[in-house]
Amino acid sequence: MLSPYGLDIIESCLTCKMRAERLFCDLPTSALQSFESIKYATAYPKGAVLFVEGQAPRGIFVLCKGRVKLSICASDGKTLILKIAEPGEVLGLSAAVSGKAYELTAETIDPCQVNFVKRDDFLRFLKEHSEACFKVAEQLSEKYNVACHEVRSLGLSHSAAEKLAKLLIEWSSRNGESMKQEPRLKLALTHEEIAQMIGTSRETVTRLFADLKKRQILQAKGSTLVIRNKAALRSLATTG
Amino acid sequence: MSQSCLDCAQRSDRIFCDLEPEALEEFDGIKTLETYPRGTVLFREGQTARGIFLLCEGRVRLSVCSESGRRMTLRMATPGEVLGLSAALSGGLYEVTGEVVDQVQVAEVRRKDLLHFLHQHCDVCLQVVNLLSEDLHEAYDRVRAVGLARTRHTNGHGVHGHGFHGHGLHLR
Repeated sequence: MLSPYGLDIIESCLTCKMRAERLFCDLPTSALQSFESIKYATAYPKGAVLFVEGQAPRGIFVLCKGRVKLSICASDGKTLILKIAEPGEVLGLSAAVSGKAYELTAETIDPCQVNFVKRDDFLRFLKEHSEACFKVAEQLSEKYNVACHEVRSLGLSHSAAEKLAKLLIEWSSRNGESMKQEPRLKLALTHEEIAQMIGTSRETVTRLFADLKKRQILQAKGSTLVIRNKAALRSLATTG
Repeated sequence: MSQSCLDCAQRSDRIFCDLEPEALEEFDGIKTLETYPRGTVLFREGQTARGIFLLCEGRVRLSVCSESGRRMTLRMATPGEVLGLSAALSGGLYEVTGEVVDQVQVAEVRRKDLLHFLHQHCDVCLQVVNLLSEDLHEAYDRVRAVGLARTRHTNGHGVHGHGFHGHGLHLR
């Protein structure tokens, strides 16, 4: 089998082993067969732009492998990263459903496999398969939740330190490390990208990291961060 | 305001309410009409979602709150809107707080009944997907307004240009 960008392409949704674990993909057989006939499996290298904010919606992108950066942009070029999408997520969903322009820009940060479905095909698919419609509603709810969380964090946090502490706590809770005495987390983003996630400058993020390390709250081991003082980080996250 | 959805005069103007006769009759059977005075909190962020609130009359303020108690108004919901929809569908917690501004009449539907209703009526489920997409567009607009306004002020104090009133930040 050909494997562009070193990816092992999953050709068919019907035989995909990951399907059961993924919120959208775990469809009944009839819906899955119908989905299989309208999707195009495509591979993208790192740094490819799937769609751009403001563009008319062409369709949806089911992320099968790799990660995608979702961001919004101001007219002066400032970027805010909303989320790093993981496999199983459907991208461009609300734009495809409503017919409004894509609200976000999606750019791959790893080589990715994406299953693309044209908008018309997708809308017809939803009309015919109520189970899929339900899954779409669930995905939209999840995205709404993330957006509200982002508004709260950006709009109501006092300082960049507070936002960075919140982000680190959130990351450590995702991989099940939060119960440990000294949780570890792999830093997959650059300081510039972290700055874009919390709406501050790269310099501020670098300064904050240096400060956290100096105060023995964090320790860096290569690209892995160890949270040495959970209580101090928590208190920063609530008070700034 | 009519007690039954079947003879509601406003129905045809409202996205969610304009249902097929069969679905409408069933919806009418699972909803309970309630009237709440100004100041009532219909649902609070962080609370487990009990169901949805279809706003028939009056306005509801939707806001989010920080741990320290600072509150930011997201927007005012107007008649015809379905509140608490995404939390009720996912079975999670309400993401925002809904507080009555003017006296409201709401049609409440419990989560269990809503899910059953949607499973029976695929067309309504599609309508719900549309409503959620609209909600999401609104939410992204708020992220843009709040997040990108602040990146220009890296000291992170206050939301400049959005009007700061006491302890509440009012956008728009």
